[in-house]
Amino acid sequence: MEQKFNTSLVSGFGPAKMLPDLKFAEMEAGFDCGGGTYKITAEEVAKFAALMGDSNKGDVSVPIGMIYIFGLRICWDRKVFLDGAVRAGDKIVFFKPAKIGDTITTKLSIADKKEVKKEKDGQVRISKFLSVDMNATNQAGDKIVNIQMSFLLPKTMQ
Amino acid sequence: MSTIDFTSAIIGGTLPSKSIAVSQQFINEYADICGDYNPLHVDVEGMKSNTMFGGSTIAHGTINVEPVLQAICDIQGLQWPAAGTRVDLQFRAPVKPGFTILSNLVVKEKKTDGGKNILVCDMKIQNKDGGDCVMGTAEIVCA
Repeated sequence: MEQKFNTSLVSGFGPAKMLPDLKFAEMEAGFDCGGGTYKITAEEVAKFAALMGDSNKGDVSVPIGMIYIFGLRICWDRKVFLDGAVRAGDKIVFFKPAKIGDTITTKLSIADKKEVKKEKDGQVRISKFLSVDMNATNQAGDKIVNIQMSFLLPKTMQ
Repeated sequence: MSTIDFTSAIIGGTLPSKSIAVSQQFINEYADICGDYNPLHVDVEGMKSNTMFGGSTIAHGTINVEPVLQAICDIQGLQWPAAGTRVDLQFRAPVKPGFTILSNLVVKEKKTDGGKNILVCDMKIQNKDGGDCVMGTAEIVCA
């Protein structure tokens, strides 16, 4: 399909060393995965609202689903979604609403990792999971949302 | 202001639901907004030989969650969930083109924390055939 995404919307930052450069043993809580900054435009809000079937009310509020849109952009830019990893779940806490015109800064870091043991037919199988914190703030430094994303790591890392 | 009255909310009661009809066109347009063109989502021909998802593309996981986010906002009478609202979810099954997914929120507890009235709910997002795509809990602050 033709790709229409405007890549200039993403402005990432962070260390050269990213998640794909780490082995499981090196994935420590607090590791800085970097982040990104973006300005929320009325055009983008209208596009999202149209897709979701909401009438664009023309006010300053941002539809809640856009938090994921922004997060996905930064996560892809910073290679947080490892090839072959499977999304397991999210823990979301909401704070101040995002508004059209806001400049949002999203920061990503490793929250936790764990190994889950399961025994079946006398065989022990270990699954490795990684959790990444995604914290978004506005230009005043107010918290917008915190999302902790959990992944089952790819088979190559199990 | 919340459309649900905290005082009269009933344990075991079901809260208003929201639904989304997911098509390949919907997934493609979502990709154009978020920039996630993973072949799992947009490569219809390539995914026909992928046995893991039955030869189909799958929706972005964030689309799966959209109905419950919209439902919470409707319940609160807001466009962005009230501060302190929490959602804890696990992805259970992929959403594919042709699915209509809807939120299911059932009140399991009422509590007051830090001066906020909160409805604690069991949460599911299901395909119209009843299959669970997402499960978890939601703590909905009643403004």
